[in-house]
Amino acid sequence: MQQQPPTVFIVDDDEGVRNSLRFLLKSVGHATRALASANEFLETYKPNQPGCLVLDVRMPGMSGLELQQQLNLRGAVIPVIFITGHGDIPMAVEAMQQGAFDFLQKPFRDQELIDRIQRALERDARSRAALDQHARIRERLDSLTPREREVLALMTRGKPNKIMAAELGVSQRTVEIHRARVMEKSGAASLAQLVRMVMDLEPDGASP
Amino acid sequence: MSDRVHEAQGAGESLPESVAAARDPAAALHGRLLNVSRMATIGEMAAGVAHELNQPLTAIANYAHACERLLARPGADLDDLREALHQITAQTTRAAEIIRRLRALARSQQSDHVPVDLNKLIEELHELMKTDASLHGVSLTLELAPGLPEVAAAGSEIQQVVLNFLRNSLEALAAHPVSRPAVAISTAVVNGHGVQLTVCDNGPGLPAAVERQVFDPFFSTKENGTGLGLAISSTIARAHGGSVGYRANTPCGACFYIVLPTQLPE
Repeated sequence: MQQQPPTVFIVDDDEGVRNSLRFLLKSVGHATRALASANEFLETYKPNQPGCLVLDVRMPGMSGLELQQQLNLRGAVIPVIFITGHGDIPMAVEAMQQGAFDFLQKPFRDQELIDRIQRALERDARSRAALDQHARIRERLDSLTPREREVLALMTRGKPNKIMAAELGVSQRTVEIHRARVMEKSGAASLAQLVRMVMDLEPDGASP
Repeated sequence: MSDRVHEAQGAGESLPESVAAARDPAAALHGRLLNVSRMATIGEMAAGVAHELNQPLTAIANYAHACERLLARPGADLDDLREALHQITAQTTRAAEIIRRLRALARSQQSDHVPVDLNKLIEELHELMKTDASLHGVSLTLELAPGLPEVAAAGSEIQQVVLNFLRNSLEALAAHPVSRPAVAISTAVVNGHGVQLTVCDNGPGLPAAVERQVFDPFFSTKENGTGLGLAISSTIARAHGGSVGYRANTPCGACFYIVLPTQLPE
């Protein structure tokens, strides 16, 4: 989990707007990267790079909306702030429906953009932390032996040791040893936390 | 993006097309269709110009805001400020250039009013309108009053009005199909000092509630309507000292008309 500083990506085909955004964001101390097209962005962007994306809706070639769809397909978590022109409200609505973080109508006040970028970066950090956490839990549970996984499944269903021993056909003492290993390997401090960890993973069908 | 205004500039240049037209009727029709579709995009053009002007304005605002932020901090880097100011000037020049091109466009569209025969203008359009109507499954008839006095007009603008009226009728008939969809275009002398051109259909007509608004800009009963067709027609009529109007057709349908003053004898 490398801790790179967050970068504000700016994608706008209009050179004047693009450079002015970069200048403005640099003046408030953001690391920025400005690109002239959606394709350039896709070539440059690494999913593990934290940050957010300030994206023009209307661009020749791949539009902002299409870029967002590409990012969605790739499972990228980077929050997208759309910049729209006056007549582009329907597009902005569509962008929000597709999970855009926010949108701003041109011309906008600098503070509005800066506040939104701040919030987007915070959200990006949170979702990256959650992903990291997810990956850590996954890694730990993957280290369980098949038997320990069986025990884990019974533990999360709240079965007492005696029942587990009967179901698995082993002694209670053996069950206790497996339980201890599961707790140790998972790093859970309590049964409740263990249940939480398993539930966290389950939405993507990761249950053992 | 920056080509939009340039592209739209072609809208006023129909003369070379009519020269080519004399040689090849198919090319003539094509040229006209082209011209009509260009004219139909006046609303889009306005949106395009607004968008284009928004770009430099956005950039200028960004640079100015950045300058304020830089100045609020002690020890601001003068080179940064200089760079931002330089860019503000450049973007201002860009905005001025867009406005200059727009002015040039407006000038190129100011057409001369010359004596024209309304019937002849309609006959010129007949082929195009027939094609358009039959594509919609609508029969088109002309009822042109003979010996119509001439009017002082920009022919292509009056033709645009006719096409706007026709398009309205065709769209109304497409949205509310009737058994024998028909449009009739007629001309007549009115009040002794004007000529009237009327486009009537046998569609649903207008609900009484919208009759008064139908010539207002941006008013449209259609989902994808710009609300500009009839508003532009009204503007063109006024620029000719005339007027446009609506009346219900009998037994059903809509009639849109334009009245133009005839030329006073010298």
